Amino acid sequence: MSQGRDAIRAFYRRLVGLYPRHFRDQFADDLLQAFDDRRSERRFAGTWGGVRLVLFLLRDFVTSVPMAQQPHDGTRGVERIMGDFFRDIRFSARMLIKNPMFTLAAVTTLALGIGLNAATFSAVHGILLRPLPGAEDPEELVQLFREYPGIEFGSNSIPHYQDIRDRSSEVFENVAAYYFNPMSLSADGRSERIIGMLVSANFFQTYGAEPVLGRAFIPGEEDRDPGAHPVAILGHGFWQTRFAGDPGVIGTTMLLNGHSFEVVGVAPSDFPGPVTFAAIPVYVPLMMQREMEPGSNRLENRGNNNMTAIGRLHDGQTVERAQQVFESILLQLREEYPDHYGRQSSTRMVLQSEAGLHPSLGSAQMGMSSVMMAVVALLLLIACVNVANLFLARARDRRREMGVRLSLGAGRRRIVQQLLTESLLFSALAGVAGLALASVTTSLLANVQLPIDGPWAFNVEMDSTVLWFTLAVSVGAGVLFGMVPALQAARPDMVSALKGEAGEGGGRSRVSSILVILQMALSLLLLISSGLFLRSLQGATEIDPGFDEPENIVMASLDPGLQGYDEASAQAFLDRVTEDIGALPEVTSVALTSNLPLGLGSSDRGVGIPGYEFAENEPRNIHYQYVGEGYLETMGIELVEGRTYTRADDGESAPVIVVNKRFADRFWPNESAIGKIVQTGGAERQVIGVVETGKYSSLGEDPTEFMYLSYRALFRSEMVIVARTPSDPQAVLRQMRNIVLNADPDMPVYDVRTMEDHMGIALLPARLGGSVLGLFGLLGLALAAVGIYGVMAYSVSQRKREIGIRVAMGADRSAVIKLVLGEGMKLAIIGTVLGLFGAFGAAQLVKGLLYNVQAIDPVAFIGVPVLLLGVAAIAVYLPARRAAGAEPMRALKAD
Amino acid sequence: MTEQSKLDDLLPLTPTAFHVLVALANGARHGYGVAQEVEELTEGRIVMGPGTLYGTLRRMLDSGLIAEAENPGEEGLHVERRRYYSMTPVGSAALRAESTRLMRTASLAQERLRV
Repeated sequence: MSQGRDAIRAFYRRLVGLYPRHFRDQFADDLLQAFDDRRSERRFAGTWGGVRLVLFLLRDFVTSVPMAQQPHDGTRGVERIMGDFFRDIRFSARMLIKNPMFTLAAVTTLALGIGLNAATFSAVHGILLRPLPGAEDPEELVQLFREYPGIEFGSNSIPHYQDIRDRSSEVFENVAAYYFNPMSLSADGRSERIIGMLVSANFFQTYGAEPVLGRAFIPGEEDRDPGAHPVAILGHGFWQTRFAGDPGVIGTTMLLNGHSFEVVGVAPSDFPGPVTFAAIPVYVPLMMQREMEPGSNRLENRGNNNMTAIGRLHDGQTVERAQQVFESILLQLREEYPDHYGRQSSTRMVLQSEAGLHPSLGSAQMGMSSVMMAVVALLLLIACVNVANLFLARARDRRREMGVRLSLGAGRRRIVQQLLTESLLFSALAGVAGLALASVTTSLLANVQLPIDGPWAFNVEMDSTVLWFTLAVSVGAGVLFGMVPALQAARPDMVSALKGEAGEGGGRSRVSSILVILQMALSLLLLISSGLFLRSLQGATEIDPGFDEPENIVMASLDPGLQGYDEASAQAFLDRVTEDIGALPEVTSVALTSNLPLGLGSSDRGVGIPGYEFAENEPRNIHYQYVGEGYLETMGIELVEGRTYTRADDGESAPVIVVNKRFADRFWPNESAIGKIVQTGGAERQVIGVVETGKYSSLGEDPTEFMYLSYRALFRSEMVIVARTPSDPQAVLRQMRNIVLNADPDMPVYDVRTMEDHMGIALLPARLGGSVLGLFGLLGLALAAVGIYGVMAYSVSQRKREIGIRVAMGADRSAVIKLVLGEGMKLAIIGTVLGLFGAFGAAQLVKGLLYNVQAIDPVAFIGVPVLLLGVAAIAVYLPARRAAGAEPMRALKAD
Repeated sequence: MTEQSKLDDLLPLTPTAFHVLVALANGARHGYGVAQEVEELTEGRIVMGPGTLYGTLRRMLDSGLIAEAENPGEEGLHVERRRYYSMTPVGSAALRAESTRLMRTASLAQERLRV
């Protein structure tokens, strides 16, 4: 008997578990105590007593549940709605568990859409939109660039920076400057190559970033006396990983490029650096430039621009005022250094918060990120249509439930509320799953290893803005996919619903037709847009840079002039080294040049052409490069006419020049350029050769004029040796370095790499964008295919009964299939046409962001619709055949 | 809100609440004690199960008619685990008002029945 009693107690314990939580929390023990008291009463003894007790408890439970609801606050309406809401949630949760496959399908689809939105948003937000993390009052920070005709965002040299810093204290509290620089670091017996940063002494003060350990650099002291301040500050992340976060690191020394540096501080953890895409491992004062870059002297060279300058506005000062001040500073500088300021037209100021990755990327970075956001928004819309379709299909299975509820007097609003609660519960679940997906994606992105070495660390944390965004997206999605099926379900025809019949329900099949059309149109829009970008990015990597097989070109830079060589001995040294390299069996060709195309630096100068009138605003400046004999052959640049340089084209011979095709076509259209005169560099030079036009500053540039000057005629000591090898480029690079060091063991050799690595910078945006959009495109294709199949198959399955009747009446099966196929495809084609219209519109919008591909790209505009229509055809055909093949009686009874 | 209007909000009491207050009128009792007393007072017509009992007590606690109280010195089974309840001044005022109202209604009814 006591066992039976215990079973009743266990039963009552469960019953107690069904009370609202707050009631249970308050009274669970008392309820069980009261139960124990009751069951010891004589009237509940024995078998019948047990039965009476159970009935008594059940009646008690039913009457007391309303009393146990949340205490009311006087507004009965709110109480009721909240009560309904909690009841709906409980009910929805039960539905969710009851049908796990449905839940899994709907939640996964939605989570994918929400997750990609959250991930993309956190990347765009973190890298482009959010002002610099860790910087104090980032809205006061202004990036400063030198502007020239044709160049908007020119960098700053050290002397120029020092002048603007000292002359702008009226508007700026501080002006700092920085640039990335590779360093070789040895500490604790381990050496490695890092990309650190040279910064002005007031760098940390300007950003308002207080070191967590030690001190910042000292303005007024560590910004004078070049070479006298071998001190370094560690980035927080680097301190953690390389020095295990040891506070004892302060005061120790490490070797940077072979020089001892004392570690004086550790940057704060929330300030990874002055850019949103890298975490700086080591900071060194600008005054140590010569030690960090042996062989170049930026400290005194006003024309050697490579730094970003950043000013912090005084309270109440504006960019407009700063602009005025800088105009007058430029006038002063032009007077003081007429040789250096002839070309700079003004100073370009960009608010830190608007700079993004780099202001020179300008509208392209916002454009690209809008495209990304649009693509993932489309993905989410498609996911919503998919899920709406799933819900619609399930709503059909729940017609009987809805019919019963309506006939028992449930208000339609109540039912809509119930169904919306369900869809919101789904989207909340999907939101959580999506956030998990997004955090995986963003951590992958944050730690992405780029093909170029550098301390890359994309600032893509998921902060509260991202969470709010995700919440908004999830709720929006829930309402969106929940609304249609909910409204639809609340209006079934009661009688047939109670009978569980599908009913002819014109409205219902209209909804599902609309979903078919929508699904086709959205999928088409998404796939065509991402297809266009993929084609464009593919086009970018296929752009002919104007030279052959960059993976077989190797380079090394050196500057004998800085090692004390005079012009003659430097020339001899360079000749000897190039000859030795050319003698290597693996090297087919070798040459000298001042710089290489598609790098980060370029030079240009004005030209005059006898017989050619420049229009008023027509640019006269042409980019150029000094090259030695064999350069064009080594790079594989094709000669169109004339000849290339030989060793005889030196300072003694008549001045000559080689230009590219574009140059020749601009100044001497329809005639040969050979023998024509170009006035530049203080001489009249005769054109001896014309070469194919290549790419010089970026792969995306329009065809540009370019000229090659003979370095033997205009000697410079800082040169790059380029060599072509069909065999292992790394082995050749090692041998090149050894040859230079054999000739002079003290000669620094730098930028030793292949042309392919050198070009990596130019290719990076295309590669990154290509892989991300490619991934989105694949996901979009999968979602679209599944979605189109689902929507089509569902709309066919709704006609199972009709198909069964037709077959039962003796209709030919294949004719029935054809009929269904035809009707299904009609919808698909309407969707396709709508989607094409949308895609044409979208293509016009993004035209400016595409290169090397037409906006109406035939591959995207024909391939995608054909593919999707194929999916749609299969999605109609398979269920139609199944329906037509089924026993007519089964089909009639179905559903 | 004045005392009177607050009282008016609580009236009329439900029969169960009225009987709970009567049960508590001469001292604090624990939950089950209240149920037993109510059952006795109503000659078995109101038998409160655990849920009804604590649902009622919770509402009365919320409206301030009763309050949790110390054990007045009872001994017995599980005494340390039990919660005790007593009538608050509001509860006693409500009980007085309600019984007056009932009395008036009852005497009016009797008068009329005699006629």
